Amino acid sequence: MNTLLLVAGREIRTRIRTRSFIISLAVSALLVVGLAFVPKFLSGPDTYKVAVVGPTPAAVENIAFTPYPDEAAARAALAGGDADAALIDDRKIVSEGELDQRLGLLLENAHREAKIKSSGLVITPLQVETGADAQYEGVRTGIATLLVMVLFFLLIYSAMYVAMGVVEEKSSRIVEILLAAVRPWQLFGGKIVGLGTLGLINLGVVIGAGLAAASATGLVADLPPGMTGIVIGTVLWFVLGYAFFSALAAAFGSLVSRQEELNSVLTPMTTLMTLTYLVAYFAAVEPMGTLARVLSIVPPFSSMVMPVRSAATEVPVAEIALSAGLMVVAVVAVLLAGARVYNRAVLRTGARVKLAEALR
Amino acid sequence: MLEVQDLRKRFGDKVALDGVGFAVQPGEMFGFVGANGAGKTTTMRIVMGVLQADSGEVRIEGRALTGEDRRRFGYMPEERGLYQKMNVADQIEYFSRLHGMSATAARAATAELIERLGLTERRASAVEALSLGNQQRVQLAVALVHSPSVLVLDEPFSGLDPLAVDALAEVLKDRSASGVPVIFSSHQLDLVERLCDSVGIISAGRMVASGPVDELRDSEGRSVLKVVVRGAAPGWADGLRGQVTTDGGRDVLTVEDGDDQEILRTAVRAGTVEQFGRQRPTLAEIFREAVA
Ligand SMILES: Nc1ncnc2c1ncn2[C@@H]1O[C@H](COP(=O)(O)OP(=O)(O)OP(=O)(O)O)[C@@H](O)[C@H]1O
Ligand SMILES: [Mg+2]
Repeated sequence: MNTLLLVAGREIRTRIRTRSFIISLAVSALLVVGLAFVPKFLSGPDTYKVAVVGPTPAAVENIAFTPYPDEAAARAALAGGDADAALIDDRKIVSEGELDQRLGLLLENAHREAKIKSSGLVITPLQVETGADAQYEGVRTGIATLLVMVLFFLLIYSAMYVAMGVVEEKSSRIVEILLAAVRPWQLFGGKIVGLGTLGLINLGVVIGAGLAAASATGLVADLPPGMTGIVIGTVLWFVLGYAFFSALAAAFGSLVSRQEELNSVLTPMTTLMTLTYLVAYFAAVEPMGTLARVLSIVPPFSSMVMPVRSAATEVPVAEIALSAGLMVVAVVAVLLAGARVYNRAVLRTGARVKLAEALR
Repeated sequence: MLEVQDLRKRFGDKVALDGVGFAVQPGEMFGFVGANGAGKTTTMRIVMGVLQADSGEVRIEGRALTGEDRRRFGYMPEERGLYQKMNVADQIEYFSRLHGMSATAARAATAELIERLGLTERRASAVEALSLGNQQRVQLAVALVHSPSVLVLDEPFSGLDPLAVDALAEVLKDRSASGVPVIFSSHQLDLVERLCDSVGIISAGRMVASGPVDELRDSEGRSVLKVVVRGAAPGWADGLRGQVTTDGGRDVLTVEDGDDQEILRTAVRAGTVEQFGRQRPTLAEIFREAVA
């Protein structure tokens, strides 16, 4: 175990200083931060500026009224961009180009309310009640979609590093002195643990950046309750998914002796990952669909579909438990089989080793 | 004592080892020689446990070798391998840790070995930036840093300049003098002869000779009689079963067997005897004969 940690430590120390790792950290964090700001750009300004000629209406939330002496002055303000719309004598609205829909509604409403009030009628506004799901649906879908991308990026990137590391050791023949000193499973496990730790660090940075950006943009208020649960769940599912795919990556990687052969030998793994990504993406958009429900139970799809589905909607605890249980079993099986393949293949340099031969 | 007993190994139809066995005493330097493809590397890989024998056993102090024993061995494989982008000191230290040293001991041992192998100036360089010979020194350091209980080195001298050869020879002598069995393979037979206490000659997967170098050289029927005669008439040695070469007025006669005294009398009658004596074969000669 100590040896395994030594191996893991070397992986971390050498990789954490590389430019590619720093870049991946920066890119993934920027991506998340950028996406957190998008709703703000799309949702228009927080307060509208309205030029008023004639009587100024009663205060309306989100609207700042500025009085102007006459219509010409108000139009000039519009043209100069100092106002989003002009309200003339409480009877017409002037705007440059199309009137912002929300602003139009607000003004229209204020106008009606004032008229109704002056006629002595009192109307109690309708109370709005929404289910928790519906209330946060938009945000949840957004978070889920973001998760899909982040998880896929981190999983495939970490697994690729595991495979490349295995081939590097094999092609440089260093594995021969390594294996004279340590057991194959220690090398196999150390590599997976070390690069997995880096993946987790990266995930932590992404989550941290995402939450920081959300609070900076005021998006935090819109985050659904149970965000902590979603974050913890995501981390755990990442660990499981990573263990599964990196064991595959190490095993497949050990079959070849040159980096150039890596892509072709990894095709089954990358295909499986891409497939998982696609269904997870689908699940983010339609978390209630049958496909999402079934595949969030089946490993290894569950490693991405389940966290995405739980971010997008409430999932019964029993389903999560079943799914996690199955995934753990799958991870153990793949780790054992992977270590076996690695053990058999890693010292056989030269031609590509056949998987069936290494498993026998 | 490290014992290799009756190792057999085949790769498909190809028999690589066909009953290889030898023993190396503590403090003994064992030279492992043989033609290309004879089976040296295969044997050493089996000793190190990176290859499994089909049958046969490697024993230490009378019992089968375990993984824990091997962890204390030092190994230099035929195909060198280092982390190209890791720097010299980190690399040596990492391997000493893998071999079970504590962090402080590893650092001290690394510093000492770097000094000893003349790598001080390159200690912070990445391995890929070193010349081949210097990379080889690092490889050697990796094999030596944890004060191994047994040293197994596959062609450690190939690619080294004469100074580095001497430095390495010194290090190996040191280690073997401290009681460590040292096995190394080499094609430089003069070097093996100079350094080793005993040798093993392998040919096509079988041991054809092994034992202390002196014994091999002295053994029956191996030495030749060499006589140098000046001023002898041509054909003086016709009656003897030997070969005569002429070199600047001197005849050099080499005889593999025959009566020494009879030959001496013939030579004295023929001319002035300048040299007369038995000559032990060199390792190279023994090798050629054994492998032929
Ligand atoms: N992995 C392998 N697959 C097939 N044959 C092999 C393999 N390794 C070694 N052999 C064969 O086993 C025989 C012994 O090879 P080995 O490498 O032990 O020779 P060697 O004595 O070290 O030679 P050299 O002096 O050239 O290094 C050779 O015929 C070689 O072709
Ligand atoms: Mg060899």
